Amino acid sequence: MLSRRSFLASLAATIPLAVLVRRAHAASSEHLESDPETLDALAAAVLPSELGAAGTIRVARDFRDWGAKYRENAELVHGYGTSRLRSTGPTPLTRWTRQLDELEAGAVKAHQRRFRDLTVAQRAELVRAALEGERLDRLPSVAAANHVAVALLAHFYDSSEANDLCYGARIGRQTCRPLSASSRKPLPVIKVRER
Amino acid sequence: MRRAIESDVCIIGSGISAAMVADRLARTTSARIVVVEAGDETIPLPERAAMRERFLRYGENPWGRDHLEGYEIEGPLQSRSMQVGGLAMHWGGVTPRFSPEDFKHRSMFGVGTDWPISYEDLDAYYQEAEELMGVSGEQGPRELDPRGKPFPMPALPLTYNLELLKGWASKAGIAMWSQPSAKNSIAYRGRAQCCRNDTCSPICPVGAKYSPDFTWNQLRGANRIRLVPRTLVRTLVLDPSGKTISHAVALDRDHPEQPIEFHAKRFVVAGGYTWSSHLLLLSAQSGAPDGVANSSGLVGKYLTGHRAVQGFVELPMRLYPGMNEQHSLVTKQFMRPAAGSTFIRHDLRVWESSAGRTARLTDDGGSLMLGDAILEDWRARTKSGTARVRAYYDVIPDRGSELTLDATRKNAWGDPLPKLAFRDAPESVALRGPTEDSIRALFASMAKAGDGTLLRRRSTTFRITRRVVAAWGPTRPRASSTRGDGRTIMRICSSWARRRA
Repeated sequence: MLSRRSFLASLAATIPLAVLVRRAHAASSEHLESDPETLDALAAAVLPSELGAAGTIRVARDFRDWGAKYRENAELVHGYGTSRLRSTGPTPLTRWTRQLDELEAGAVKAHQRRFRDLTVAQRAELVRAALEGERLDRLPSVAAANHVAVALLAHFYDSSEANDLCYGARIGRQTCRPLSASSRKPLPVIKVRER
Repeated sequence: MRRAIESDVCIIGSGISAAMVADRLARTTSARIVVVEAGDETIPLPERAAMRERFLRYGENPWGRDHLEGYEIEGPLQSRSMQVGGLAMHWGGVTPRFSPEDFKHRSMFGVGTDWPISYEDLDAYYQEAEELMGVSGEQGPRELDPRGKPFPMPALPLTYNLELLKGWASKAGIAMWSQPSAKNSIAYRGRAQCCRNDTCSPICPVGAKYSPDFTWNQLRGANRIRLVPRTLVRTLVLDPSGKTISHAVALDRDHPEQPIEFHAKRFVVAGGYTWSSHLLLLSAQSGAPDGVANSSGLVGKYLTGHRAVQGFVELPMRLYPGMNEQHSLVTKQFMRPAAGSTFIRHDLRVWESSAGRTARLTDDGGSLMLGDAILEDWRARTKSGTARVRAYYDVIPDRGSELTLDATRKNAWGDPLPKLAFRDAPESVALRGPTEDSIRALFASMAKAGDGTLLRRRSTTFRITRRVVAAWGPTRPRASSTRGDGRTIMRICSSWARRRA
């Protein structure tokens, strides 16, 4: 059976670029779906523990879904005051799957164990090493994130769920909410203990 | 083969002004009305939730193919959007009226130009437009915010955040109220109540914000208009007298080899601040060498718009950003300079803000944070709140502030594209510094009144708006290509449209 990299290399030799890119995107997405453990382990290392195990897996799943539905060269919302049109860039999925592979390789090299089998602290250390030299003064947009760990964080912290978690309140940013409730202080978030 | 479409009134453009004109004509006359739109049909309401989702997740344009290819122009074009409904498909829905003094700048303050009409002349027409769109609003102090009748709907309720910020503004001696908006505070004319989705601009997924497609759907459903999309009007042809438009020559984008002529007794040019002037200039012909309706030479001149100073104020109060971020407080308290003082005149709006209050990856020392550290850092920075304050101020355009035809850029059919350039009048240049200093001082005093800190502030670049019509005011009788009721309607519709956000 061909490895994913061998598969991509063989595609590159025989297929036009646009088709290659589409297939590479699909292959990366399938890889993330079929082998989610590394991403789940990354999520547990970089996302807040308050989410709990089920919460981090849910966020990671939503992140994979985000990636699977990404469209290259889609027109972006029009800028105000300019006639210039902008489009989405190349799929970030190929980059992210490669980086997950690198985290795996780093885990084996440093600890002789798979990334998913490391402690949270060990995983976080590998992530820190991977982000060494990156400019990280603020969270970028998901697609613009250079590293999969940053993309995952950007994805989560842009969510209404993260906003509610931070404020401890059911604000529900950008969700459909009763207008009549807007004048009162948002209700507190009720934490459900995981079993 | 040339096709011809006959009507009593031909409206060119299908944006918000065009919708107001068509609605009025459909209600008050039996005229056969044809509306011509260069862009495509817009996205139907049931599909907007899905489009919004892609906008939120990926930043994609939620309006599909809402532009014509090859229209990259020089200058500050407000938007590339061109579709049935025009720019008002993605407007913010904010509907401030002009103030009475807007019409009397020269006589009241010695700057700019007086209009030949007054606020009182327009009041009933503002009301008509607000009722058609469905505007929710709160009556401000009458001396600052006069109106003949109440708003059609109660105001959008202030959020918990805005209530706190209103109290803060009051401490600073500023009376503020809920910004009037074309968003339904209650279900209105078959459209849903606002549910604070907070993506009014660029897309409302529930139809609570007015957009012209609702008027077009209604008028088409009643068989009162014929709307012809994907058809670009390229020139207006005068009759032999040289004083009346005989017909418009257009191009069907699906069959560009077959020109279409639109023949009508009246033409309403409602293509917006760029494309109306562009069409009039493109229509230069024998007897009108500088373009149609341009004997004054003023079509495209005195291009105007607005400039703003914006700041962020940190306040010792717990706010909850995300409750309804696109809604704001407004005041007209700074719209009337005292007699004899420097002409400094602006509005003031206040929003909740998450500026400086979003999650980050590195701490103050530049160290990377992961896991719980990010959330803890974020929480620590949200003990206090941030308000966004912004003041738009008057900008007086120079005659050389203009839209012209660009000889170097043409569309796919060989027509020159427009070129936009803004230039302040000398008096406006002189006022800019004192105005911005005054606004910054105001922000600082507001911060002080709330025991807060002015975090940062900046001036925006010049933004063109539909306020271009204001500069045409004194010349409109000679420049208008419509007559009788049509002229009146255009005047009314343009007046409220140009101040929308």
